[in-house]
Amino acid sequence: MRKKVVYAVLGVFVLVAAGLMIARALQTSLVYFVLPSEYARDASSFDGRKIRLAGLVEPGSVQFDDSGLQLTFNVTDTYETYPVRYGGAPPDMFQENGGVVIEGAFHEGVFVGDNLLVKHSNDYHPPAEGEAVDVEALKESLR
Amino acid sequence: MPLELGVVGGAAAFLAFAVALYGAVVGSLGAWRRDARLMTSARLSSVAGFLLATVAVVVMQTALLTDDFSVSYVAAHSRIASPIWVKVVTMWAALEGSILLWAWLLSGYTALLAAIAPLSPLRPWALAIMQGVQTFFFFVLAFLANPFTVLAVPPLDGPGPNELLQNHWMMAVHPLLMYLGFVGLTVPFAYAMAALITRRPGSEWMTVTRRWTLTGWGFLSAAIVAGGWWSYEVLGWGGYWAWDPVENVSLMPWLTATAFIHSVQVQERRQMLKPWNVMLILLTFSLSILGTFLTRSGVVSSVHAFGNGPVGPAFLAFFLLVTLGAFALLAVRWDDVKDRAELDSLVSREGSFLGVNVLFLALTFAVLLGTLFPLIVEAVSGARVTVGPPFFDQVTLPLWLLVLLLMGIGPLLPWRKAEDQLLSRNLAWLLGGLVVSGALAWVLGVRKVYPMLTVALAGYNLVSLALLLTGALVPRLRLATRPAVVVIRRYAFENRRRVGSMVVHFAVVIIAVGVAFSSGYRVDEQLRVDIGGSAQFEGYTLTALDTFMEQTPGRISSGAIVQVSRDGAFVGTLRPRLNVFGAGGRPIPTPAVLYRPSHDVYLNLNSTVGPDTQFVVLRAVKSPLVTWIWVGGLVLVFGVIYSLGGATRALPAHATRASTVAQEA
Repeated sequence: MRKKVVYAVLGVFVLVAAGLMIARALQTSLVYFVLPSEYARDASSFDGRKIRLAGLVEPGSVQFDDSGLQLTFNVTDTYETYPVRYGGAPPDMFQENGGVVIEGAFHEGVFVGDNLLVKHSNDYHPPAEGEAVDVEALKESLR
Repeated sequence: MPLELGVVGGAAAFLAFAVALYGAVVGSLGAWRRDARLMTSARLSSVAGFLLATVAVVVMQTALLTDDFSVSYVAAHSRIASPIWVKVVTMWAALEGSILLWAWLLSGYTALLAAIAPLSPLRPWALAIMQGVQTFFFFVLAFLANPFTVLAVPPLDGPGPNELLQNHWMMAVHPLLMYLGFVGLTVPFAYAMAALITRRPGSEWMTVTRRWTLTGWGFLSAAIVAGGWWSYEVLGWGGYWAWDPVENVSLMPWLTATAFIHSVQVQERRQMLKPWNVMLILLTFSLSILGTFLTRSGVVSSVHAFGNGPVGPAFLAFFLLVTLGAFALLAVRWDDVKDRAELDSLVSREGSFLGVNVLFLALTFAVLLGTLFPLIVEAVSGARVTVGPPFFDQVTLPLWLLVLLLMGIGPLLPWRKAEDQLLSRNLAWLLGGLVVSGALAWVLGVRKVYPMLTVALAGYNLVSLALLLTGALVPRLRLATRPAVVVIRRYAFENRRRVGSMVVHFAVVIIAVGVAFSSGYRVDEQLRVDIGGSAQFEGYTLTALDTFMEQTPGRISSGAIVQVSRDGAFVGTLRPRLNVFGAGGRPIPTPAVLYRPSHDVYLNLNSTVGPDTQFVVLRAVKSPLVTWIWVGGLVLVFGVIYSLGGATRALPAHATRASTVAQEA
C-alpha cells in the first residue's frame, strides 16, 4: 500500500513537471500567422516575437542586391504595408503582387525574415481596380 | 466493346469489400458459435479477398503502364512521358492509390496469417478483426475514393504525380515501408482484441504475434529513417526532420510500438502490465488511423495533404469507432486483464521497462499535442498559429536523453530486484563511460549541452553493451573447451533476440550521435558565386565551373557544376539543379550532396539558371555526422532481421523443450 502511494505521488509530480514544461515551451514557440493589417492592430503583443507575416509583394518595391544577397520589398494587404528584408536570393516564382509568407521578426520597423515562402494559389484572384481586398480570402489563400 | 480496365478494377474493389465484410461477419459468428464450418469459410474468404485486391492492383498497374486515361486515377496523377518506375510508383503517389496499396497489403497479411497462424481460440477472432479493418479500407476504396471511376471522355495526357514525389526514387520505397509497418502492427492489435474477446489475456496473443510485431516495427523504423533521407535529398533545406505534421503522425505510432515491444517482455516474464500492453497496441493502431485522418483530410496542411473529400471524415469515424470500441472492450474485460502481481522494485528490468514506457508515452503525448495545438487554438480563438520546431526540441530532447539513459541501464538489471553489489559494480563502469566520453567530447571542442550529453550517454551505452557481452561471454569462455570463435558464434546464434536487441540499441546510439551533431552544429549559408568564380564555405572552396542543361524524357534539368576543393585539393564535383517535369511545371530545386563520414557538404540552387546566367546563389549546408543517421538506420534493420532469424524459437517452446529433455533424462 505504501508503495502505491509513493508511485502515485511520483506520478503526479512527473505529470505536473511535464505539464509546466510543455506549457512553457508552447508559450515561447507559438508562431502566429498574420497579415500586415492584423499586425498593425495588435503590434505590441507581437513585440520581439517570431511571426509568420503573410501578404502580397507590393509592386515597384522589390530590390535585390545580388553582391550582398539582400532582398528588400514591401509586403502589403492593401490596408497596411511593411518593409521586409531577407538575406538571400528571391525564390523561384517570387513576383510583384504575388503571395508570400515570411517567417521572422520586426527589428526597428523592418521585418527581418529568416525564411521566405512563395504561395501560388489558384483560389485567390486579386480584386479589380478600385475594389477592396477581402482580407479573409487573402489569408485563406496564403495559408 | 472491350471490357474497360476501370470497370474491372472497380468490380474487384467492390467484391473485395463484400468478401471482407463476409469474412468479418461469418468469422465472428463462427467464432462465437464455435462453428468450424463458418470459421473455415471465413478463413478461406481472406484468401479470396487477397486475390481480388491483387486483381485491383494489377488493373491499376496495367492502366498506369499503358497510359489508360479512361481510369480516373491515371488521368489525375499519371503522365505519358514519365519513366516506367514513376508510373509504377504513381499508384501510391496520391490518396486513392495509397488506400488501394494499404488495403492490398492488409489483405495479403490477412491471407498469410490465415495460412500460417497456429490453430488457437484466438485465431478466428483475430482474422475476423483483420477482415473488419479490411472492410473499412475496401469500403473507402470502393465508395469514397474510387480510383477506378471510368471517364467518358478521357484526356489525352495527365499532369503526372506530385513533382516532389517523382524527384527521388526513395518515393518508391518509403510509403511501402510505412504501410508494411502499419499493416504489420495491425496483426498484434487484432490478436490483442481477440485475447480480450475470448478472455485469454495471458501472453499467448503476444508470443504468437511476436514475429509480426517485430517485422512491423522494423518496417516502420526503416520507413521513418528512409523518409528522413528522402527529405534530406529532396526538400533542399539540408535537414531531414522539420516536425511537420506528416512526419509527426508517422512518429507517434512508432513511439507507442517501441514502448509495446519493450513492455510485452514484462508480460511474458512476469505476467504483468497486461492492460498496459493492450492499450499500447491499441494506441499504435489507432494512431496510425488518426495520422491518416490528419494528413489526408487537409486539416493540417502539408505536402502530403491531397485535398479535401469524404475520406478524412471516414478515417475520423473509423478512428473513433476503433478507439472507443477497443477501450470499451478493455473496460468490460477489466477483471480478466488486471494485473495481480506487483512490481517488486523499481530498480529491476521490469522497472526500467516501465520507465521507458512512460517516457515513450510522454513523447507521444508531446508530439500529439504539438501537432494538434494549432487546430485547438484556431477552434478556440480563430487565430492561426504554427507550433515550431523549438517546441518539439525543448520538450522532446530531455526525454530522448532519458530514453538513452534507461537504454543503457535497463538491460543490465535483472528481473524482479537488482543485487546491490552487482548493481554498484555496473553503475561504476557506466558512470566511467559517461564521464570519460563526456570529457573526450569536451577536449575535442564540443561545448553545446545536448551534443555533449549525447556523446556522454553514447559512451555510457557502449560500456553497457560491452558489459552485457562480457557478462554473457566470459563465463561461457571460461567453461568452454572449444575455441573462443566457436563459443562466440554459438552464443550469437542461440541468443538471436538478445544479440539482435544489442545491435538495435547500438544502432540507436549511432543515430542519436548523428542527430545531435547534425542539428547542433549545422552551418547554413547563402552564397553568391559567379560562373567561373568561387566562394569560401567552412574551409571549402566552391568553384562554379559552368552551368549545364540536361533533358531526359519527361524532365528538363538546369543547374550549376560546382567543384568542391579543400586546401587546393580536389574533393568532389556537385551538380545542384532545378528539375522541371512536363510543360508548365514549376522548377523543383534538387540539392546535390557530398557524403563524407565527418560531415556532408550540401548544395541547393536558390536561383534560376539560363543560358546567359552570370552568377548562381547557392544554399550551402554543412551537417556534421549526418550520414551516420542513415548508417544507423541500416544497422537497426540488420538488428531486427537478425532477431527475427530466431524468433520462431519462442520462450515457452524453449522452456517446454528443456523440461521434456529434463524428463527424458
